[in-house]
Amino acid sequence: MDLKPIYQVLPLSIRNRIQSLPRTILSGLEEVRIRQDRPLEVIASGKNWFVSSNQQLKLDPRDCIHPTREECHKLLNLISNHSLYALEEELRLGYITVEGGHRIGLAGKVITEGGRVKHVRDVTGFNIRIARQIKGVGSALFPIINQKDEIKNLLIVSPPGCGKTTLLRDLARLVSTGEGCTARKVGIVDERSEIAGCVTGVPQHDVGARTDILDACPKAEGMMMLIRSMSPEIIVVDEVGRKEDADAIHEAIYAGVHLFTTAHGSSIEEVRKRPILKDLIEEGVFERIVLLSRRSGPGTVEAVYDGTCQLLRTAVCSS
Amino acid sequence: MLKLVGCILLLFATTGIGFILAGKLAARPKQIRRLISALSILETEIHYSSRNLSTACSHIGDRDIEMISELFRQMALRLTTMDGAATYECLKLAVQDWWPTSAMKTSEKEVFLQFCKTLGNSDRSDQLTHLALAKQNLQVEEQKAREEQFQYEKMVRTLGVLAGALLIILLY
Repeated sequence: MDLKPIYQVLPLSIRNRIQSLPRTILSGLEEVRIRQDRPLEVIASGKNWFVSSNQQLKLDPRDCIHPTREECHKLLNLISNHSLYALEEELRLGYITVEGGHRIGLAGKVITEGGRVKHVRDVTGFNIRIARQIKGVGSALFPIINQKDEIKNLLIVSPPGCGKTTLLRDLARLVSTGEGCTARKVGIVDERSEIAGCVTGVPQHDVGARTDILDACPKAEGMMMLIRSMSPEIIVVDEVGRKEDADAIHEAIYAGVHLFTTAHGSSIEEVRKRPILKDLIEEGVFERIVLLSRRSGPGTVEAVYDGTCQLLRTAVCSS
Repeated sequence: MLKLVGCILLLFATTGIGFILAGKLAARPKQIRRLISALSILETEIHYSSRNLSTACSHIGDRDIEMISELFRQMALRLTTMDGAATYECLKLAVQDWWPTSAMKTSEKEVFLQFCKTLGNSDRSDQLTHLALAKQNLQVEEQKAREEQFQYEKMVRTLGVLAGALLIILLY
Protein backbone atom coordinates (compact mmCIF):
# COMPACT_ATOMS: atom_id res chain seq x y z
CA MET A 1 0.00 0.00 0.00
CA ASP A 2 1.56 3.21 -1.14
CA LEU A 3 1.02 6.04 1.30
CA LYS A 4 3.40 8.40 -0.46
CA PRO A 5 0.69 10.65 -1.94
CA ILE A 6 -0.69 11.02 1.58
CA TYR A 7 2.68 11.93 3.05
CA GLN A 8 3.14 14.50 0.30
CA VAL A 9 0.19 16.55 1.45
CA LEU A 10 0.99 16.40 5.16
CA PRO A 11 3.09 19.16 6.73
CA LEU A 12 6.46 17.90 7.92
CA SER A 13 5.56 17.87 11.64
CA ILE A 14 2.46 15.72 11.12
CA ARG A 15 4.10 13.62 8.42
CA ASN A 16 6.85 12.54 10.80
CA ARG A 17 4.32 11.47 13.40
CA ILE A 18 2.31 9.41 10.95
CA GLN A 19 5.36 7.87 9.34
CA SER A 20 6.70 6.69 12.65
CA LEU A 21 3.52 4.81 13.54
CA PRO A 22 3.88 1.01 13.79
CA ARG A 23 3.85 -0.86 10.50
CA THR A 24 0.79 -2.90 11.42
CA ILE A 25 -1.18 0.32 11.87
CA LEU A 26 0.08 1.84 8.64
CA SER A 27 -0.77 -1.25 6.61
CA GLY A 28 -4.35 -1.19 7.87
CA LEU A 29 -4.71 2.59 7.85
CA GLU A 30 -8.18 3.73 6.85
CA GLU A 31 -8.43 7.33 7.91
CA VAL A 32 -6.26 10.08 9.31
CA ARG A 33 -8.32 12.76 10.99
CA ILE A 34 -6.84 16.15 11.61
CA ARG A 35 -8.85 18.67 13.56
CA GLN A 36 -7.47 22.03 14.56
CA ASP A 37 -6.58 22.17 18.27
CA ARG A 38 -7.99 18.73 18.88
CA PRO A 39 -6.22 15.38 19.14
CA LEU A 40 -4.81 13.78 16.02
CA GLU A 41 -6.77 10.65 15.25
CA VAL A 42 -6.02 7.65 13.08
CA ILE A 43 -8.39 4.87 12.17
CA ALA A 44 -6.82 1.58 11.24
CA SER A 45 -8.42 -1.82 10.69
CA GLY A 46 -11.73 -0.53 12.03
CA LYS A 47 -10.31 0.80 15.32
CA ASN A 48 -9.72 4.40 16.21
CA TRP A 49 -6.69 5.72 18.06
CA PHE A 50 -5.33 9.04 19.18
CA VAL A 51 -1.66 9.72 18.61
CA SER A 52 0.17 10.85 21.72
CA SER A 53 3.17 13.14 21.73
CA ASN A 54 5.59 10.23 22.10
CA GLN A 55 4.15 8.40 19.08
CA GLN A 56 2.06 6.07 21.24
CA LEU A 57 -1.42 5.11 20.18
CA LYS A 58 -3.99 5.67 22.88
CA LEU A 59 -7.71 5.53 23.34
CA ASP A 60 -7.60 8.37 25.80
CA PRO A 61 -7.56 11.75 24.08
CA ARG A 62 -5.61 13.45 26.86
CA ASP A 63 -2.03 14.65 26.16
CA CYS A 64 -2.16 13.82 22.53
CA ILE A 65 -0.87 15.84 19.64
CA HIS A 66 -3.08 18.77 18.80
CA PRO A 67 -2.50 20.00 15.25
CA THR A 68 -2.18 23.78 15.36
CA ARG A 69 -3.83 26.41 13.25
CA GLU A 70 -0.60 26.87 11.36
CA GLU A 71 -0.35 23.18 10.59
CA CYS A 72 -3.91 23.19 9.28
CA HIS A 73 -3.04 26.12 7.04
CA LYS A 74 0.01 24.31 5.76
CA LEU A 75 -2.01 21.20 5.14
CA LEU A 76 -4.56 23.11 3.10
CA ASN A 77 -1.78 24.82 1.14
CA LEU A 78 -0.21 21.48 0.35
CA ILE A 79 -3.51 19.87 -0.58
CA SER A 80 -4.50 22.76 -2.82
CA ASN A 81 -1.01 23.45 -4.15
CA HIS A 82 -1.48 27.04 -3.03
CA SER A 83 -4.39 27.41 -5.42
CA LEU A 84 -7.82 27.54 -3.86
CA TYR A 85 -9.21 28.96 -7.09
CA ALA A 86 -8.49 25.65 -8.82
CA LEU A 87 -10.57 23.80 -6.24
CA GLU A 88 -13.77 25.82 -6.40
CA GLU A 89 -15.92 22.83 -7.22
CA GLU A 90 -14.13 20.61 -4.71
CA LEU A 91 -14.56 23.16 -1.93
CA ARG A 92 -18.23 23.39 -2.77
CA LEU A 93 -18.60 19.64 -2.48
CA GLY A 94 -16.37 19.43 0.56
CA TYR A 95 -13.72 16.97 -0.54
CA ILE A 96 -10.66 16.74 -2.72
CA THR A 97 -9.27 13.69 -4.47
CA VAL A 98 -5.51 13.49 -4.48
CA GLU A 99 -3.08 11.32 -6.36
CA GLY A 100 -3.60 7.66 -5.64
CA GLY A 101 -7.37 8.11 -5.47
CA HIS A 102 -7.27 9.02 -1.78
CA ARG A 103 -9.89 11.48 -0.68
CA ILE A 104 -9.65 14.30 1.75
CA GLY A 105 -12.89 15.50 3.28
CA LEU A 106 -13.01 19.08 4.49
CA ALA A 107 -14.97 20.68 7.28
CA GLY A 108 -15.05 24.25 8.48
CA LYS A 109 -17.05 27.39 8.05
CA VAL A 110 -19.38 26.99 5.11
CA ILE A 111 -20.13 30.02 2.97
CA THR A 112 -23.46 30.00 1.19
CA GLU A 113 -24.78 32.08 -1.64
CA GLY A 114 -28.46 32.21 -2.41
CA GLY A 115 -29.02 29.23 -0.11
CA ARG A 116 -26.49 27.04 -1.93
CA VAL A 117 -23.12 26.09 -0.56
CA LYS A 118 -20.48 28.22 -2.22
CA HIS A 119 -17.36 26.96 -0.53
CA VAL A 120 -15.78 25.99 2.76
CA ARG A 121 -13.77 28.74 4.39
CA ASP A 122 -11.54 28.39 7.47
CA VAL A 123 -11.00 24.71 6.92
CA THR A 124 -10.29 23.22 10.33
CA GLY A 125 -11.20 19.58 9.91
CA PHE A 126 -9.59 17.16 7.50
CA ASN A 127 -10.48 13.56 7.00
CA ILE A 128 -7.88 11.81 4.89
CA ARG A 129 -9.48 8.62 3.67
CA ILE A 130 -7.04 6.12 2.33
CA ALA A 131 -8.42 4.50 -0.78
CA ARG A 132 -7.61 0.87 -1.21
CA GLN A 133 -8.19 -0.96 -4.36
CA ILE A 134 -8.65 -4.61 -3.57
CA LYS A 135 -8.33 -6.44 -6.81
CA GLY A 136 -10.29 -9.61 -7.00
CA VAL A 137 -13.05 -8.79 -4.50
CA GLY A 138 -15.55 -9.07 -7.31
CA SER A 139 -14.38 -12.42 -8.65
CA ALA A 140 -16.47 -14.46 -6.22
CA LEU A 141 -19.64 -12.61 -7.18
CA PHE A 142 -18.90 -12.41 -10.84
CA PRO A 143 -20.54 -15.69 -11.91
CA ILE A 144 -23.81 -14.41 -10.45
CA ILE A 145 -23.77 -11.30 -12.58
CA ASN A 146 -22.37 -12.91 -15.66
CA GLN A 147 -24.32 -15.93 -16.77
CA LYS A 148 -23.43 -17.54 -20.07
CA ASP A 149 -21.56 -14.39 -21.00
CA GLU A 150 -24.63 -12.31 -20.45
CA ILE A 151 -24.25 -9.42 -18.03
CA LYS A 152 -27.06 -8.73 -15.57
CA ASN A 153 -28.07 -5.31 -14.28
CA LEU A 154 -26.77 -5.06 -10.75
CA LEU A 155 -27.66 -3.10 -7.63
CA ILE A 156 -25.34 -3.30 -4.65
CA VAL A 157 -26.97 -2.36 -1.33
CA SER A 158 -25.17 -1.70 1.94
CA PRO A 159 -24.66 0.84 4.70
CA PRO A 160 -21.67 3.21 4.24
CA GLY A 161 -18.20 1.75 4.64
CA CYS A 162 -19.06 -1.83 3.73
CA GLY A 163 -17.15 -1.91 0.50
CA LYS A 164 -19.80 -1.01 -2.07
CA THR A 165 -17.53 1.19 -4.09
CA THR A 166 -14.60 -1.20 -3.83
CA LEU A 167 -16.77 -4.01 -5.15
CA LEU A 168 -18.23 -1.82 -7.88
CA ARG A 169 -14.75 -0.78 -9.00
CA ASP A 170 -13.54 -4.34 -9.15
CA LEU A 171 -16.57 -5.47 -11.12
CA ALA A 172 -15.95 -2.65 -13.60
CA ARG A 173 -12.36 -3.82 -13.91
CA LEU A 174 -13.34 -7.46 -14.41
CA VAL A 175 -15.89 -6.70 -17.12
CA SER A 176 -13.63 -4.23 -18.83
CA THR A 177 -10.56 -6.46 -18.98
CA GLY A 178 -12.68 -9.50 -19.69
CA GLU A 179 -11.70 -11.70 -16.79
CA GLY A 180 -14.28 -14.44 -16.92
CA CYS A 181 -16.29 -12.94 -19.76
CA THR A 182 -15.81 -11.19 -23.06
CA ALA A 183 -14.27 -7.77 -22.50
CA ARG A 184 -16.96 -5.10 -22.68
CA LYS A 185 -16.83 -1.35 -23.14
CA VAL A 186 -17.46 0.19 -19.75
CA GLY A 187 -18.43 3.76 -18.98
CA ILE A 188 -18.10 5.10 -15.44
CA VAL A 189 -19.91 8.22 -14.26
CA ASP A 190 -17.85 9.09 -11.25
CA GLU A 191 -19.70 11.96 -9.62
CA ARG A 192 -17.68 11.91 -6.43
CA SER A 193 -14.40 10.72 -7.92
CA GLU A 194 -14.64 7.63 -5.76
CA ILE A 195 -14.80 4.80 -8.23
CA ALA A 196 -11.81 5.63 -10.38
CA GLY A 197 -10.31 8.35 -8.20
CA CYS A 198 -9.28 10.51 -11.14
CA VAL A 199 -6.65 13.21 -10.84
CA THR A 200 -6.64 15.55 -13.86
CA GLY A 201 -8.79 13.04 -15.70
CA VAL A 202 -6.46 10.08 -15.23
CA PRO A 203 -7.85 7.17 -13.17
CA GLN A 204 -5.71 6.36 -10.16
CA HIS A 205 -7.26 2.94 -9.67
CA ASP A 206 -7.21 0.14 -12.16
CA VAL A 207 -10.69 0.20 -13.65
CA GLY A 208 -9.88 -1.88 -16.68
CA ALA A 209 -8.52 -1.43 -20.16
CA ARG A 210 -11.78 -0.64 -21.92
CA THR A 211 -13.17 1.83 -19.43
CA ASP A 212 -14.06 5.47 -20.05
CA ILE A 213 -14.60 7.78 -17.13
CA LEU A 214 -16.57 10.97 -16.77
CA ASP A 215 -15.00 12.37 -13.67
CA ALA A 216 -16.95 14.62 -11.27
CA CYS A 217 -19.91 14.51 -13.64
CA PRO A 218 -23.51 14.61 -12.37
CA LYS A 219 -24.89 11.10 -12.64
CA ALA A 220 -27.99 11.58 -14.73
CA GLU A 221 -26.35 13.90 -17.23
CA GLY A 222 -23.24 11.74 -17.32
CA MET A 223 -25.18 8.60 -18.17
CA MET A 224 -26.83 10.40 -21.08
CA MET A 225 -23.48 11.77 -22.24
CA LEU A 226 -21.95 8.31 -22.22
CA ILE A 227 -24.82 6.76 -24.14
CA ARG A 228 -24.65 9.50 -26.74
CA SER A 229 -20.93 9.64 -27.22
CA MET A 230 -19.02 6.68 -25.86
CA SER A 231 -21.34 3.76 -26.78
CA PRO A 232 -20.73 1.82 -23.57
CA GLU A 233 -22.05 -1.70 -23.09
CA ILE A 234 -22.06 -1.30 -19.34
CA ILE A 235 -22.53 1.88 -17.32
CA VAL A 236 -21.21 2.05 -13.79
CA VAL A 237 -22.57 4.69 -11.39
CA ASP A 238 -22.48 5.12 -7.66
CA GLU A 239 -25.46 5.80 -5.43
CA VAL A 240 -28.53 6.37 -7.51
CA GLY A 241 -31.70 7.63 -5.89
CA ARG A 242 -32.89 10.84 -7.48
CA LYS A 243 -35.65 11.36 -10.01
CA GLU A 244 -33.25 12.33 -12.81
CA ASP A 245 -31.19 9.23 -12.15
CA ALA A 246 -34.22 7.04 -12.68
CA ASP A 247 -34.97 8.73 -16.00
CA ALA A 248 -31.41 8.26 -17.16
CA ILE A 249 -31.45 4.64 -16.01
CA HIS A 250 -34.57 3.98 -18.06
CA GLU A 251 -32.94 5.62 -21.02
CA ALA A 252 -29.89 3.39 -20.59
CA ILE A 253 -31.63 0.09 -19.87
CA TYR A 254 -33.97 0.39 -22.80
CA ALA A 255 -31.10 1.34 -25.05
CA GLY A 256 -29.56 -2.05 -24.39
CA VAL A 257 -26.93 -0.82 -22.00
CA HIS A 258 -26.31 -2.73 -18.79
CA LEU A 259 -25.96 -1.05 -15.46
CA PHE A 260 -23.96 -1.59 -12.29
CA THR A 261 -24.97 0.69 -9.46
CA THR A 262 -25.20 1.01 -5.69
CA ALA A 263 -27.55 2.36 -3.04
CA HIS A 264 -27.34 2.94 0.69
CA GLY A 265 -29.43 0.67 2.86
CA SER A 266 -29.04 -2.20 5.26
CA SER A 267 -31.72 -4.54 3.92
CA ILE A 268 -33.70 -5.09 0.78
CA GLU A 269 -36.90 -4.05 2.59
CA GLU A 270 -35.32 -0.70 3.36
CA VAL A 271 -34.35 -0.06 -0.23
CA ARG A 272 -37.81 -1.02 -1.38
CA LYS A 273 -39.23 1.80 0.69
CA ARG A 274 -37.16 4.47 -1.01
CA PRO A 275 -39.41 6.27 -3.53
CA ILE A 276 -37.32 6.14 -6.69
CA LEU A 277 -35.57 2.86 -6.02
CA LYS A 278 -38.91 1.21 -5.18
CA ASP A 279 -40.21 1.90 -8.65
CA LEU A 280 -37.02 0.76 -10.32
CA ILE A 281 -36.97 -2.49 -8.36
CA GLU A 282 -40.67 -3.21 -8.92
CA GLU A 283 -40.20 -2.63 -12.60
CA GLY A 284 -37.55 -5.31 -12.48
CA VAL A 285 -34.79 -3.11 -13.77
CA PHE A 286 -32.19 -4.77 -11.57
CA GLU A 287 -31.70 -8.40 -12.35
CA ARG A 288 -29.41 -8.97 -9.39
CA ILE A 289 -29.40 -7.23 -6.02
CA VAL A 290 -26.44 -7.84 -3.73
CA LEU A 291 -26.55 -7.01 -0.05
CA LEU A 292 -23.28 -6.26 1.73
CA SER A 293 -22.39 -5.82 5.39
CA ARG A 294 -19.37 -5.55 7.65
CA ARG A 295 -20.20 -8.70 9.60
CA SER A 296 -16.94 -10.44 8.86
CA GLY A 297 -15.02 -7.46 7.59
CA PRO A 298 -15.99 -4.98 4.85
CA GLY A 299 -17.37 -6.61 1.75
CA THR A 300 -19.22 -9.48 3.42
CA VAL A 301 -21.90 -10.66 1.01
CA GLU A 302 -25.06 -11.10 3.05
CA ALA A 303 -27.44 -12.10 0.34
CA VAL A 304 -28.06 -12.07 -3.38
CA TYR A 305 -31.55 -11.48 -4.77
CA ASP A 306 -32.85 -11.69 -8.30
CA GLY A 307 -35.00 -9.17 -10.14
CA THR A 308 -38.17 -10.13 -8.32
CA CYS A 309 -36.44 -9.93 -4.93
CA GLN A 310 -36.32 -13.69 -4.61
CA LEU A 311 -33.44 -14.82 -2.50
CA LEU A 312 -30.86 -16.53 -4.70
CA ARG A 313 -28.18 -17.07 -2.14
CA THR A 314 -27.52 -16.34 1.50
CA ALA A 315 -24.16 -18.05 1.85
CA VAL A 316 -21.78 -15.67 3.52
CA CYS A 317 -18.73 -15.59 1.34
CA SER A 318 -16.27 -13.13 2.76
CA SER A 319 -14.41 -11.74 -0.21
CA MET B 1 52.29 59.41 -21.69
CA LEU B 2 51.11 57.51 -18.61
CA LYS B 3 48.82 60.42 -17.77
CA LEU B 4 47.29 60.25 -21.21
CA VAL B 5 46.57 56.55 -20.83
CA GLY B 6 45.00 57.24 -17.43
CA CYS B 7 42.82 59.96 -18.91
CA ILE B 8 41.58 57.70 -21.65
CA LEU B 9 40.82 54.93 -19.15
CA LEU B 10 38.94 57.36 -16.91
CA LEU B 11 36.94 58.65 -19.83
CA PHE B 12 36.05 55.12 -20.86
CA ALA B 13 35.04 54.22 -17.33
CA THR B 14 32.71 57.16 -16.77
CA THR B 15 31.23 56.81 -20.25
CA GLY B 16 30.65 53.14 -19.50
CA ILE B 17 28.90 53.93 -16.22
CA GLY B 18 26.73 56.48 -18.00
CA PHE B 19 25.74 53.94 -20.63
CA ILE B 20 24.99 51.24 -18.08
CA LEU B 21 22.75 53.57 -16.08
CA ALA B 22 21.01 54.71 -19.25
CA GLY B 23 20.59 51.08 -20.26
CA LYS B 24 18.87 50.35 -16.96
CA LEU B 25 16.53 53.26 -17.47
CA ALA B 26 15.65 51.89 -20.89
CA ALA B 27 15.30 48.30 -19.68
CA ARG B 28 12.93 49.11 -16.83
CA PRO B 29 9.76 49.90 -18.81
CA LYS B 30 10.46 46.96 -21.09
CA GLN B 31 10.71 44.59 -18.16
CA ILE B 32 7.55 45.97 -16.61
CA ARG B 33 5.81 45.39 -19.93
CA ARG B 34 7.00 41.80 -20.00
CA LEU B 35 5.88 41.30 -16.42
CA ILE B 36 2.42 42.53 -17.43
CA SER B 37 2.30 40.09 -20.33
CA ALA B 38 3.42 37.29 -18.01
CA LEU B 39 0.48 38.20 -15.77
CA SER B 40 -1.82 37.91 -18.79
CA ILE B 41 -0.58 34.37 -19.30
CA LEU B 42 -1.14 33.68 -15.61
CA GLU B 43 -4.66 34.97 -16.08
CA THR B 44 -5.48 32.39 -18.74
CA GLU B 45 -3.79 29.68 -16.70
CA ILE B 46 -6.01 30.56 -13.75
CA HIS B 47 -9.20 31.42 -15.56
CA TYR B 48 -9.35 28.99 -18.42
CA SER B 49 -7.07 26.11 -17.54
CA SER B 50 -7.67 26.37 -13.78
CA ARG B 51 -4.17 25.05 -13.17
CA ASN B 52 -2.67 25.22 -9.75
CA LEU B 53 -0.29 28.02 -8.97
CA SER B 54 3.00 26.14 -9.05
CA THR B 55 2.18 24.49 -12.38
CA ALA B 56 1.04 27.81 -13.83
CA CYS B 57 4.24 29.50 -12.65
CA SER B 58 6.49 26.81 -14.05
CA HIS B 59 4.61 26.99 -17.36
CA ILE B 60 5.40 30.68 -17.54
CA GLY B 61 8.94 29.88 -16.44
CA ASP B 62 9.28 27.51 -19.39
CA ARG B 63 8.40 30.24 -21.84
CA ASP B 64 11.06 32.46 -23.24
CA ILE B 65 10.22 35.78 -21.68
CA GLU B 66 13.46 37.65 -21.12
CA MET B 67 14.28 37.99 -17.42
CA ILE B 68 10.71 37.35 -16.29
CA SER B 69 10.72 33.58 -16.87
CA GLU B 70 13.41 33.25 -14.24
CA LEU B 71 11.23 35.01 -11.67
CA PHE B 72 8.36 32.61 -12.30
CA ARG B 73 10.69 29.61 -12.25
CA GLN B 74 11.86 30.66 -8.81
CA MET B 75 8.29 31.26 -7.66
CA ALA B 76 7.31 27.75 -8.77
CA LEU B 77 10.34 26.28 -7.02
CA ARG B 78 9.58 28.04 -3.76
CA LEU B 79 5.93 27.03 -3.88
CA THR B 80 6.77 23.36 -4.20
CA THR B 81 9.65 23.10 -1.78
CA MET B 82 8.63 25.01 1.31
CA ASP B 83 6.48 22.44 3.13
CA GLY B 84 3.22 24.25 2.76
CA ALA B 85 4.40 27.56 4.18
CA ALA B 86 2.04 30.46 3.50
CA THR B 87 1.76 31.20 -0.19
CA TYR B 88 2.82 34.80 0.31
CA GLU B 89 5.98 33.77 2.19
CA CYS B 90 7.03 31.51 -0.67
CA LEU B 91 6.38 34.15 -3.28
CA LYS B 92 8.01 36.91 -1.26
CA LEU B 93 11.25 34.98 -0.95
CA ALA B 94 11.36 34.35 -4.68
CA VAL B 95 10.61 37.99 -5.47
CA GLN B 96 13.20 39.30 -3.04
CA ASP B 97 15.87 36.99 -4.44
CA TRP B 98 15.16 37.85 -8.00
CA TRP B 99 14.35 41.55 -7.93
CA PRO B 100 17.90 42.93 -7.55
CA THR B 101 18.92 41.13 -10.76
CA SER B 102 16.34 43.08 -12.74
CA ALA B 103 16.22 46.71 -13.79
CA MET B 104 12.94 47.25 -11.98
CA LYS B 105 12.69 49.39 -8.91
CA THR B 106 10.94 49.15 -5.56
CA SER B 107 7.68 50.77 -6.65
CA GLU B 108 6.95 47.94 -9.11
CA LYS B 109 8.14 45.46 -6.52
CA GLU B 110 5.61 46.79 -4.03
CA VAL B 111 2.82 46.48 -6.57
CA PHE B 112 3.86 42.92 -7.39
CA LEU B 113 4.21 41.87 -3.77
CA GLN B 114 0.83 43.35 -2.98
CA PHE B 115 -0.58 41.21 -5.75
CA CYS B 116 1.27 38.14 -4.44
CA LYS B 117 -0.58 38.54 -1.14
CA THR B 118 -3.85 37.77 -2.88
CA LEU B 119 -2.58 35.07 -5.20
CA GLY B 120 -3.99 31.61 -4.67
CA ASN B 121 -6.14 32.23 -1.65
CA SER B 122 -9.52 33.07 -3.10
CA ASP B 123 -11.90 31.90 -5.78
CA ARG B 124 -11.38 32.37 -9.47
CA SER B 125 -13.36 35.56 -10.02
CA ASP B 126 -11.60 37.22 -7.11
CA GLN B 127 -8.24 36.16 -8.49
CA LEU B 128 -9.13 37.75 -11.81
CA THR B 129 -10.08 41.02 -10.13
CA HIS B 130 -6.72 41.13 -8.37
CA LEU B 131 -4.90 40.23 -11.56
CA ALA B 132 -6.60 43.06 -13.42
CA LEU B 133 -5.79 45.46 -10.62
CA ALA B 134 -2.14 44.42 -10.54
CA LYS B 135 -1.86 44.82 -14.29
CA GLN B 136 -3.41 48.25 -14.11
CA ASN B 137 -1.01 49.36 -11.38
CA LEU B 138 1.94 47.97 -13.27
CA GLN B 139 0.82 49.88 -16.35
CA VAL B 140 0.92 53.08 -14.33
CA GLU B 141 4.43 52.19 -13.21
CA GLU B 142 5.40 51.43 -16.76
CA GLN B 143 4.16 54.83 -17.88
CA LYS B 144 6.18 56.50 -15.13
CA ALA B 145 9.25 54.48 -16.04
CA ARG B 146 8.84 55.49 -19.66
CA GLU B 147 8.67 59.16 -18.76
CA GLU B 148 11.76 58.75 -16.62
CA GLN B 149 13.53 57.06 -19.47
CA PHE B 150 12.53 59.84 -21.85
CA GLN B 151 13.73 62.49 -19.44
CA TYR B 152 16.95 61.02 -18.19
CA GLU B 153 18.25 58.42 -20.59
CA LYS B 154 20.12 60.80 -22.91
CA MET B 155 21.13 63.01 -20.04
CA VAL B 156 22.72 60.17 -18.08
CA ARG B 157 24.57 59.02 -21.15
CA THR B 158 26.06 62.45 -21.95
CA LEU B 159 26.62 63.09 -18.26
CA GLY B 160 28.91 60.06 -18.17
CA VAL B 161 31.08 61.42 -20.95
CA LEU B 162 31.04 64.95 -19.55
CA ALA B 163 31.84 63.81 -15.99
CA GLY B 164 34.85 61.99 -17.41
CA ALA B 165 35.93 65.08 -19.27
CA LEU B 166 35.51 67.21 -16.15
CA LEU B 167 37.61 64.85 -14.04
CA ILE B 168 40.31 64.87 -16.68
CA ILE B 169 40.41 68.65 -16.76
CA LEU B 170 40.55 68.79 -12.97
CA LEU B 171 43.21 66.13 -12.59
CA TYR B 172 45.39 66.86 -15.57
